Parts: sequence; C-alpha cells; structure tokens
Amino acid sequence: MRLKRDLAVAALAAGGTAVAVRYGRARRRRAARRGAAWYVVTVEADPAELSGTGRPDALAGLSERHEVRISAAPGGRGCEIAVRDADGAARRRLREIKQLLETGEVLRVDDQPEGHRTPVGRVALPVARTLMRRGAR
Amino acid sequence: MKALCWAGINEVAVEEVPDPTILNRQDAIVRVTASSVCGSDLHLLDGYVPTMMAGDVIGHEFLGEVAEVGPDVRERRVGERVTVCSIIGCGRCRYCRSQMWSLCDNTNPDPGFLEALNGHATAGIFGYSHAMGGFAGSHAEYVRVPYADVNAFPVPDAVPDAGAVFASDAVPTGWMGADMGGVGPGDVVAVWGCGGVGQMAAKAAYLMGAERVIAIDRFPERLAMAAGRVGAEPLNYEETDVLEALKEATGGRGPDVCIEAVGMESHGTGGQYAYDRVKQALRLQTDRGLSLRQAIQACRKGGTVAVLGVFLGFVDKFPMGALMNKGLTLRSGQQHGHRYIPMILDRMAKGEIDASFLLTHPMPLEEGAKGYELFKHKLDGCVRAVFQPARTT
Repeated sequence: MRLKRDLAVAALAAGGTAVAVRYGRARRRRAARRGAAWYVVTVEADPAELSGTGRPDALAGLSERHEVRISAAPGGRGCEIAVRDADGAARRRLREIKQLLETGEVLRVDDQPEGHRTPVGRVALPVARTLMRRGAR
Repeated sequence: MKALCWAGINEVAVEEVPDPTILNRQDAIVRVTASSVCGSDLHLLDGYVPTMMAGDVIGHEFLGEVAEVGPDVRERRVGERVTVCSIIGCGRCRYCRSQMWSLCDNTNPDPGFLEALNGHATAGIFGYSHAMGGFAGSHAEYVRVPYADVNAFPVPDAVPDAGAVFASDAVPTGWMGADMGGVGPGDVVAVWGCGGVGQMAAKAAYLMGAERVIAIDRFPERLAMAAGRVGAEPLNYEETDVLEALKEATGGRGPDVCIEAVGMESHGTGGQYAYDRVKQALRLQTDRGLSLRQAIQACRKGGTVAVLGVFLGFVDKFPMGALMNKGLTLRSGQQHGHRYIPMILDRMAKGEIDASFLLTHPMPLEEGAKGYELFKHKLDGCVRAVFQPARTT
C-alpha cells in the first residue's frame, strides 16, 4: 500500500517536473524567436556622463553583469539606458541608478511607522514589496 | 506616537506606532496639526485597492509644522508651518520639471503593481497603499516627507489651518479639473459630486471666468453648501433627470466643460446603477462609471470632460461612441498639486479662495474611526472630518 502511494507521489513529481521542463523550454524558444529583450529607462543626463571611465560606479557595476547600451533620447530628453535580459534585480538596480542620477538618492520606504500587522501580513508584505520592487517588464 | 491605521475592510483603528525617522537626506519630519479625510480614502476602506495591509497608516491631505530636516534639505526650516502636497514629487525628473508632478518617475520605489496594471507607475502618494509607494500616511502625530524642499509649502500667516489643510489636495485637485477643462469666460460648467474636490472645482471654474456652474449631487446639505458658499446652481440627481436638466439649462447645447469629481464608486439611480453594483460586486468590473458616462453623454459637442474622481482599473460600458462622434476631449490625472499650491495659498491669503467651510467636523485623532463613519455615510452633514493629531500629545 505504502509502495503504491510512494510510486504515485513519484509519478506526480516526475510528471510535474516534465511539465515544468517542457514549459521552460517553450518559454526559452519563444524568447529566442522574439530576440533578446532590453529593459530601458530614460534619464535626465548627458549620454557623455554615462560612458567611459567617468561613468557612475553603480552603472559600471551593472555593466559587469549585463550588456548595457547608452544612447541619446530623442527630443533632448536626456539619455536612454538599456540593459539586455534584465532580471528583477537588474530592473530594480537600473531604476535606482536613475533615481541617483536625477535626485541624488535612492528613496527608501522601509522602516516607516506601521501599526499591528497580522501574521499573514508580516509574511506577505516583504514578499509583495520584493515583487513590486522588481517592476514589470 | 499615535496613528490611524487601516485594519481591514471598513475598519480603522488608532494605534501606537513608532515615530518616523529621517530615511533619506532630503526628508523632513512634519508634526501634523491637521489631517483631512478624503473621498479617495473610501476606496481604501471599502477594499477596492488590493495592496492595502492591516497596519498601514492612512491619510494624505495635511498641514503641519516642520519638526526636523535632513542634511540635504535647503529651503525648509524647523518650525515652518507647511501644507504638504498629497502627491510626492522628486522635482528633478522630466515629469516634475514639466509640471506633471503626479507622473513623477522617482517617488514610487515599488512600481510593479501599477506597471502591470497600467503599463507605467505614477508618483507615490502618502498613506495610499503599497501600489502607490507604501508611504506612511498623515493621520498621525508625525509624518516623514520625502524631498521636503519640493513637497512642503510654507503657509502665509493670513491663512488659517482650516483652509490651508485643503491646499494639500482638495483645492488644487479641483483647480486642476477646471484647468484641464480649459474653462474660460462665458463657459457653462457642470460638476459631478459636491464633496470637497467638486466644490473647489466649481469655485475654480468661477475664478477662471465661467458664467454658470451647475453642481450635481444627491445630498441636500452638500448641494446647499455648493450653492451658498460657491454660488453653484444645485441639481439633485435623485429628483431630476440630469441629462434633460442640463440640456434645458444650456439651450440644448450641453455644458462646455464637464468635471467628474466622483470616481470609481459612483452612486446613481435606476437599472444602470443596479447593473454596475452587481458587476462590481462580482468583480467583473473594478470601477463603477455612472457619473463618467453621464458627463460624456451630457457634454456639448466639441467640449471637454475632465476626470478628477479616482479610478483604479476598468469601467464597463464606456461610451466611446459618444466621446468620438461628439469630438470630445477627455482629460484626467491625479493632481499635479505642486503646480497650483503656491498660487492657491496666495489666493487664500488674499481672501479669493476660502475652503475652510469644507471642514465640518474637526476632531481629535482618537476619534478617527468615528470621523470616517460620519464621512462615509454623510452623517450629521459631514463634508470633511479633519483630525488634529498634534493636539493629542
């Protein structure tokens, strides 16, 4: 009886893994067909300031892990910083770089006054914040 | 300190919470002397904004005194009496520089929800859910104000607290409605909603030269206030067919400018209202659009509809045909308050704008739950309950 149950669990796990793998492959195939995606923000800055050795450290750090492209925005709207295949962390970092360049600081919203959180809220809030901070593509 | 927190749907409670601290170098801490309820808070209370969490400090329309400034604050000084815009701008991004402050790129650090819902995120707002940045609100003894130099405005001595508190939101929002509508001399303007924002939109329309302003609501005391204090012509939609009445009042043309100051929980009569209630209750639409549809239907050919009421997501049965075929202009937005607040405070000091009559229920913060109860159900003639947190210390 126990063996049957273990086999059923194993079959379900294997089936689930197979579905996940096939889904992952399909996603990668779709992404490959679309070509590499760029996540782009427009910043009030001169493109010359963001290129070469004089560029801000945060941008240099991002460039070490991702392909980064800098170009002038049309209509004198500053410059566009594009990051190839940006994951959630890279998108957050890019927005922080924009904030730093434009305002001189990264705005914080943690450690603010708050009242009683429910047990669910205590777990859900950090998760929700992390997900929202990643932004949408 | 004490603060009024969202505790669940239709539940708020005064709680003891930690004092705010300077988190960024351009922050200030403001000791709150007056903090008003706002119609848009009711969407939070009613559970229509999904990113509220029990324990969130609410409130966004406020006045206070600067208690502390961060090292990079240049303009504001400790002890200054300030009104703070409910919308948080950075002052440096392209949108802020273009005076479109509620579209600020830099003041919503958690933009994912709005980006997924709307395509882009907008500015942070005090005490208005985690989708709007998760900033602690102003129904508290103290509040942290980011980028204090651009978000806090010194209040002239001649302007009393009772009026200055509404320079934070109700007055500039109303002003923006008339401004977006391009109201000019000789115009006939119709305003849906006689809450604080609607009445201030009517006032702004007159100051911009409107010849007639028709104010639409169902509460006799609010209609009487709009008539007596602003000079608007009252129209009770429970007693009159609004579309017929507006045509009759405008020689068949329809109003030149229609200002919608109601938003996603629009009330109404008849089958359309019942339909909207059912669809919203079943979550088949997020927002009820009765007053918006009516404004579009009523507006004269080639006129402008300005939407000030807060909408979150989707409105069913949107009359795109009327909008298109009548050649209407539709404008909307959260308030770009920073554009108007200095001018409004100046006009308040000169006696050209008085908003103090909106404050019908001053009360201590401890009575926060009662204040929202009065406000939500329009009990005891409540137009605005304003809490005075600093007096509780």
